[in-house]
Amino acid sequence: MPLRRARVGRVGVIGAPVAKTAVVARAVTPGPSPVARTAVVAAAVTPGRPGRRRRI
Amino acid sequence: MTDTSLDHLGPVDYLVVEFPAGASNFTGEMAAELLALVDSGTIRVIDVLILTKDEDGAVDATELADVGELGELKAIEAQLAELLAEEDVEHLAAAMEPGSTAGVLIWENLWAAPFASAARRAGGQLIANGRIPIQAIIASIEADEASATVGD
Repeated sequence: MPLRRARVGRVGVIGAPVAKTAVVARAVTPGPSPVARTAVVAAAVTPGRPGRRRRI
Repeated sequence: MTDTSLDHLGPVDYLVVEFPAGASNFTGEMAAELLALVDSGTIRVIDVLILTKDEDGAVDATELADVGELGELKAIEAQLAELLAEEDVEHLAAAMEPGSTAGVLIWENLWAAPFASAARRAGGQLIANGRIPIQAIIASIEADEASATVGD
């Protein structure tokens, strides 16, 4: 289907061809244990997690 | 758009979600979650396009209004600003695999606008922003755990 006329001939806002972000694609693909990985990440970004401090 | 309205505009983001051939399973859940974000005032949807890329790499773009049954998305469609230009379609489709379909979503982060305005009023200016991939966090954790094991 054709694009609306308002989109044609205008300067775009996405400056260059977009590269595929493979890591994100893998993240949303059901893997062997996505729930476990989610739990690990959630724990890592939860304040007060023991044993993990800012390194800078 | 005036300077004043620009000053109150939240950051605008985009994403392209690809559905490989035969892998789509639309139940309405995505639309419901998008509407929830809009209804809560978290985001404002600026533009939506559906792109298809055939096996030869030819790209076709479909306006949301041209999709059959929009259901509750009709309210969003009526507010779209048609920000994307024809050349944007080519740029965005560069990431797609042949034979796939993708949804392109452009949105304003309404939740961030008041904070951004306050930062500007305080004399601050945005010098960097970005997103940390979950995989990078996982890698960092795993590296920490590996070094802890070595240190035991």
